[in-house]
Amino acid sequence: MSAMLAELQQYVGGRFGPFYSWDAVNAPMIRHWCEAMGDHNPIYTDVEAAREAGHAQRVAPPTMMQAWSMLGYGGERAPGSDTGSAFAVLQLLEEAGYPGVVAVNCEQEYEQYLQEGDQVYYMAELESVSEEKTTALGTGFFCTELSTFYNQRDEVVGRMRFRIFKYRPHPQGERSGS
Amino acid sequence: MVASADFDRIEVGEQLPPLSIDITPKLIVGAALASRDYQDVHHDKAAARALGSPDIFMNILTTNGLVGRYVTDWAGSNARLRNVDIRLGAPNFPGDCMTFSGEVVAKDEAEHLLEVELKGSNSLGDHVTGRVRLTL
Repeated sequence: MSAMLAELQQYVGGRFGPFYSWDAVNAPMIRHWCEAMGDHNPIYTDVEAAREAGHAQRVAPPTMMQAWSMLGYGGERAPGSDTGSAFAVLQLLEEAGYPGVVAVNCEQEYEQYLQEGDQVYYMAELESVSEEKTTALGTGFFCTELSTFYNQRDEVVGRMRFRIFKYRPHPQGERSGS
Repeated sequence: MVASADFDRIEVGEQLPPLSIDITPKLIVGAALASRDYQDVHHDKAAARALGSPDIFMNILTTNGLVGRYVTDWAGSNARLRNVDIRLGAPNFPGDCMTFSGEVVAKDEAEHLLEVELKGSNSLGDHVTGRVRLTL
């Protein structure tokens, strides 16, 4: 293992959070989301349709899970949130000469659908850092953040794995495989 | 009421109806704000260009939202999404059009679980490829 990778590995596993949401799950934000996405599934807007589908009341689109705890316009976390970051490793890589960043994939799993009134928070950790890899973009490291989302009863709502590639671009004019 | 697909009638290999979505500035900006994502590359062309991108581009939360919508448009309101796994490729820039296609690749009778493999392609290539697991 390289010295660099050994240093990066020290960031793996530390748990950060809680990161709270500014607002409880609510109908206006759900409607705004559905309007923009063109999503006409009635379980998100109509109580009767939601009940027919087996929900206690209107639910939020599951893919909206991450939206509740986003920073928003002011770029600030909701009050009481941790000020740390599971992705602090990215700053280290930036300083080590890997300025490029690209999101590679995002895996979400849902344990339950959020309902109006639910208060969402999440905990985050750096789950893994790959060995140094070379792709078509450049040379760098794949970093995976695992966020676990909870409701106000501390039940797991879902999980998200978000993988990014932090890299040093190939010198201009140089071509690479894969 | 959105009719729900009938689990018993769905077979592995079934194709989901394609869905084309015009990638407009309104969609990119509107959906970024609806997802509470105020990163400038999703609404400010000058900021996007300063980072080497020719224009603003769609954020990941919107891609997730559209993938979820694509699957439940087909599966109906009784569907429960269990997993949405996506891999990101070519950006969605204004003026382009993304077309989703998908196929049922697995069916678990005991768990009432379906797995759909899908992709959303634009003029640059695959914007998103992924798998969605759902119960009906």
